[in-house]
Amino acid sequence: MIKHESIETNAGLLIALTLIVVSIGGLVEIVPLFFINDTVEEVEGVRPYTPLELRGRDVYTREGCYLCHSQMIRPFRDEDLRYGHYSLAAESQYDHPFQWGSKRTGPDLARVGNKYSNEWHVAHLLNPRSVVPQSIMPNYPWLLETDLDYSDVQARMRALKATGVPYSETQEEYDANVERFGKAVADKLDILQAEDNLLAQALANDYDGQRSRITEMDALIAYLQVLGTMVDFSKYNEGYFVEFR
Amino acid sequence: MAQAGMGSTQQYNYEIIRKFAFMALVWGVLGMGAGVYIASELAWPFLNFDIPQITFGRLRPVHTTLVIFGFGGSALFATSYYIVQRTCQTRLYSDWMANFTFWGWQSAIALGVVGYMMGYTQSREYAEFEWPVDLIILVTWVVYFTVYVQTLRRRSQPHIYVANWFFIAFLLVIALLHIFNNLAVPVGLFSIKSYSLFSGVQDAMTQWWYGHNAVGFFLTAAFLGMMYYFVPKQAGRPVYSYRLSIVHFWALSFLYMWVGAHHLHWTALPDWTSTLAATFSIMLLLPSWGGMINGIMTLSGAWDRLRTDPIMLFLITALSFYGMSTFEGPLMSLKSVNALSHYTDWTVGHVHSGALGWVAMVTFGSFYHMIPRLYDTRLYSTRLVYAHFWLATIGIVLYITSMWVAGIFQGLMLRSFDDYGNLAYTFVETVAFLHSPYMVRAIGGMFFLTGILVMCWNVYMTIRNARAEAAALEAKLAAKMARI
Amino acid sequence: MPEWLLWFTRFENTKVFALVLFFVTFCGILLYVYTGKSRTERLESYRFIPLDDDDSDLDAGDGEVKQR
Repeated sequence: MIKHESIETNAGLLIALTLIVVSIGGLVEIVPLFFINDTVEEVEGVRPYTPLELRGRDVYTREGCYLCHSQMIRPFRDEDLRYGHYSLAAESQYDHPFQWGSKRTGPDLARVGNKYSNEWHVAHLLNPRSVVPQSIMPNYPWLLETDLDYSDVQARMRALKATGVPYSETQEEYDANVERFGKAVADKLDILQAEDNLLAQALANDYDGQRSRITEMDALIAYLQVLGTMVDFSKYNEGYFVEFR
Repeated sequence: MAQAGMGSTQQYNYEIIRKFAFMALVWGVLGMGAGVYIASELAWPFLNFDIPQITFGRLRPVHTTLVIFGFGGSALFATSYYIVQRTCQTRLYSDWMANFTFWGWQSAIALGVVGYMMGYTQSREYAEFEWPVDLIILVTWVVYFTVYVQTLRRRSQPHIYVANWFFIAFLLVIALLHIFNNLAVPVGLFSIKSYSLFSGVQDAMTQWWYGHNAVGFFLTAAFLGMMYYFVPKQAGRPVYSYRLSIVHFWALSFLYMWVGAHHLHWTALPDWTSTLAATFSIMLLLPSWGGMINGIMTLSGAWDRLRTDPIMLFLITALSFYGMSTFEGPLMSLKSVNALSHYTDWTVGHVHSGALGWVAMVTFGSFYHMIPRLYDTRLYSTRLVYAHFWLATIGIVLYITSMWVAGIFQGLMLRSFDDYGNLAYTFVETVAFLHSPYMVRAIGGMFFLTGILVMCWNVYMTIRNARAEAAALEAKLAAKMARI
Repeated sequence: MPEWLLWFTRFENTKVFALVLFFVTFCGILLYVYTGKSRTERLESYRFIPLDDDDSDLDAGDGEVKQR
């Protein structure tokens, strides 16, 4: 007869059994997510971030924005009215790491894109209380004073490419992107053109209102303005997404 | 039977435990100080002072890392090394490897925290360490595991006492979690920045599998190991039921690993996963309470100890808070409750009833028991232990009640509609409402911080007296020798 | 994927299967641990391990200086 003492007197057996017991839960819940196709919806429009948006996202994670702002709208009536359509898994499929958040000390940002003007964002980030008197968000004046460092943007895109984000380096990859996202988007996903693309986007939109320089503010606002805008929900009826839940 | 007293300082490696215990208190004061500061930033935002390094977003991981890994982690190293030596009645394996775990762990904490303030973070909650620090932790952990298991193998007791099972589960699971949740691609060999290997929904699931099991095995299982040794020792009587501990150990290890997805209710995570997690969360109540009952009932028949022994008071109160927060947890994992509580301060309050009430209180109790023994002396002042106990308890009560008010009312405000079906409150109106609860929370934190400062003073005086006693003894001995 | 594995992919099967499997295991552990007088005595005897290594002078008397 096997006794519990056999485990209690044998460190190796105790370790092996514990390892088995603790592995089951994670295996059952995580592994299928990589293999069940329904986990991520099939939806048009979601694309990787442009170089400028990507650098903006880096600023977003550096400053710890995710600690107070979620990017995950839940399927409730109040959230629908306040923030918009509930978030899809597909919308964060290129987010390394995900930024869903766990606490809303400030409002959700999953669909903040195009809701406010660039000027509003600059004023708000410089001093949130100048536009929202009751806000408790810190001021971020250094974003406007710090030039954006985009010297390693290609290395960053290559690292993301290694994780599976479809940035292109070869003609083959570029052609595949043209087919998948269209030429306009595919051009911006070209790693070799990254710096030119970044400069062009910053100059064309002038997010921070300072035409002479490209600051971290430019990058961050470029990122904020694209959040939640990639999927055109008028193309789908509501029943479509429910199938994937 | 082992020889205690003078012999035990040579029989066991106490030096390493002293070092870890000291650093636990240092990180505890710094981490709780950072906690009070960021709590104050939410109540009075001018405290951010436009200095990047101390804004809320950068200081919050500093707080969580210092208290969980700095304070809690160092306390676990200290107590696990103490317990494994005393229950196996053998000296710790390899002094230099034990020392290596000390320097590895402390440097990881220090580097990580300075890194966050400079903006280097993986932006994964409770796993913010960037990849170089992750590697330091990995190596440290492997050495820790080796030291621990080799010590177990050298035991002079045939049996491995239950406290050690919990430490083994903790060692194994933290290794698993750490490795899989930190899989990332660095931007370059000389760049600190990295991007996580997974994205979106898979990344979220991996992160909260990590996040909740860090709570389950770092902050629960390991501290239960602490409890299984120090409660019986301080009570001077064996644990209530060994059979209960067997059942609850296996059930806890099995069930905990399923529940992480309850942090992702109503998100883009598939429904089946979060429903499964909610189901297991409810079941988890049973082994959790099994542990609590086992701890508290150890005192059965000696309840009067609570009147005379403040250390016992710490330990039993910790178990009560453990019971309370392991009841609150399953409640909050119900999808309907979670719809209200998630994203609000209720979650923050829940975490702290576990972190302050259970983790910190059981650590304080264990340290008050252990530290005098490490220095072969008596505690400087029992009255200061009482003072600490009340400061801590008042702090916790202020903290969690204010967070209940903040979380539940904010949740209700956000989902209320006026007669025309429009939202009754804007988001920022709920922020304005939170001002008073945030002030009360900061004050509660200050109470708790004052408590640990009182403890530091008590410990400092204890060690000073111990040194003086030892010196006096030596002088006496020398005098005696001279006479001969 | 082999045919028999597909059986596990259907929730109506796996839910019941897992429930029965885990519950039976749990009951087995309970039965093992809580039945049998000699087993009970044996298991409960391990409770005393931490107390074997006693420095009782610090526990009961609380503060009597040790005589070495």
